[in-house]
Amino acid sequence: MLTLDLLINGLIIGVFYALMAIGLSLIFGILKIVNFAHGEFYMVGAYAYTLAALSLGISPWLGIPLALVIGLLLGLVVERLLMRPLYSGYTSWGVMRDEYAVIVTFALSIFLINIVDKVVGPFAYKGPPLVNISRVTVGPLAMSGHRLVAALIAIAVIVTVALIIRYSFWGRQIQAVSQNRLGASLAGIDTAKASAIVFALAGGLAAVSGALLANIFNPTPDVGVFPAIKSYTIVVLGGMGSVPGSIVASLVLGVLESFGGVYISYQYRDTFGLFILILFLLFRPQGLFGERAREV
Amino acid sequence: MSTGGHPTNRRLRIEFIVSLAILLVVAGLPAIVTNAYWQGVIVVSMYFAMLSIAWNILAGYAGQFSLAPAAFGMIGAYATGLLAYYYHTGYAIGIPAAIVVSGLIGLVLGRIVLRLRGPYLALTTLSFAEIMRLVISNSIEITRGDLGLNVPGIFQERLPYYYLMIGVLLIIQVGLFYLLRSRAGLYLRAIRDDEIAAASRGVRIVYWKTFAFTLSAAICGLGGALYGHFAHFVSPELGLLQQTGVVISMVVIGGLGTMVGPLIGALLVYVTSEFLRDVGNYQLVVFAFLVIIFARFFRAGLWGLVLLLLGVRAPRPLAAAPATE
Repeated sequence: MLTLDLLINGLIIGVFYALMAIGLSLIFGILKIVNFAHGEFYMVGAYAYTLAALSLGISPWLGIPLALVIGLLLGLVVERLLMRPLYSGYTSWGVMRDEYAVIVTFALSIFLINIVDKVVGPFAYKGPPLVNISRVTVGPLAMSGHRLVAALIAIAVIVTVALIIRYSFWGRQIQAVSQNRLGASLAGIDTAKASAIVFALAGGLAAVSGALLANIFNPTPDVGVFPAIKSYTIVVLGGMGSVPGSIVASLVLGVLESFGGVYISYQYRDTFGLFILILFLLFRPQGLFGERAREV
Repeated sequence: MSTGGHPTNRRLRIEFIVSLAILLVVAGLPAIVTNAYWQGVIVVSMYFAMLSIAWNILAGYAGQFSLAPAAFGMIGAYATGLLAYYYHTGYAIGIPAAIVVSGLIGLVLGRIVLRLRGPYLALTTLSFAEIMRLVISNSIEITRGDLGLNVPGIFQERLPYYYLMIGVLLIIQVGLFYLLRSRAGLYLRAIRDDEIAAASRGVRIVYWKTFAFTLSAAICGLGGALYGHFAHFVSPELGLLQQTGVVISMVVIGGLGTMVGPLIGALLVYVTSEFLRDVGNYQLVVFAFLVIIFARFFRAGLWGLVLLLLGVRAPRPLAAAPATE
């Protein structure tokens, strides 16, 4: 039953990847930038969840909404302070707006990692589990109770967000702005508000992902670097800006890594995704399901 | 372009002379700084200056935001390190080999990413850097992985290293000055400002982009090899993304797209960070914050600030952005 084991494990990892990647993909869709500080939203969520439980004694179940709120706020602040110049046209960077985004988000990532390192300390904390069952058997598969519950919460969150983006009023505005910012603003959509919502949502999702995984990957200041690199691969694989694409790509990457680690090489398993990323950027930059921007 | 009076060339000459003056000051420092530890700190800061200058050629002049400078430094360090480990070659073979190896890898990477821009370029170079680091740190049979390699030194004392680094920086700056003053400099800036317009005026985009990548990688490799011989040790940590972050911080704080910026950025940031280390390790927090402030409000950096205070007109910003795309 090794194959089935690997498949399901891969899918579960993929679900967590998706939680991170959706936000990154939405940000790319709406601002056409890569947020290199995305992993730090994850890190902040992981710490919020863990520290709330360990030092304030708050139930882990409340830790998750807390992480969500902190992530949302962080996303809003970052958007307001650093991302506005990208579309308001008062940056001195002029034609080099992409470069501005790379520098600012990269520096923000280093800033957040090191400030947490100073304030909280460089040591790993052990995130508390949501349920205290060490082993659940689902059909042929055994896993820890926390992993199962966390995966179910992640699926619920992903479905909710996907529905909001697809059907709600704000979600439709976001879709319009990412298809064509100028066109959307001509139609009376507040593009600045749409960008703020996307950033808040992305921050919140990454923070929830960090909170859910805090029991599995213990929070350290640089815990977010690794999931962030995974999500870059995923958004490229799924097509930058496409939400369904990034969900499918997350599952694909999770399964690929799960099988590749066993059948190809465990040592180099982390390089598979990066090779896929480069190949896709070179030969199919729109990804598996990339959405082509519509021109007015 | 032999018009010496052209404003761009005048600015370039000022920057060149100032950067020579800075190197001169640094060369005189051992008279005051007699402590071997602080001399070592300045040597390491000059390693970062090489990476910063190399990254600035690519990002500041050619407009190609690569996220791989530290990876190329690591490649150069490992080129000479592995040669010394397996074939017991000295620096005389190791350092040229490091330049050639990293230059060639830079050439290949440059050819691969030719068509990519902005976020796509950043992501591809980032994955390249991570693949290189993961391969080196996981190929334990060959590279000893995270244990690193011991590398033979060049000199017994610290001061010869000090002057070797200054000499190499001097050669790089002189070479860069003549490069930027020539047509090549114009071509690179033309590609940065508007690739399509440059192509339409007959600039060979493919050639000059590849050239910038190769040159930048070769300088990084040289710096990495020198660092390896100085530290007597190379490890995959040289290629960490955080190291690239440090290089970018140095250039942005010093002044992107100027000859002085990377130099003062690297020297000031690294030496100050050693001071801050004693006061509680706040250096990276402070520098990342400074980078955000400079990038957000004053992209001309410290060099631009100096020009502003002296009343010299700061480098003209690029054409204003269109309100929306």
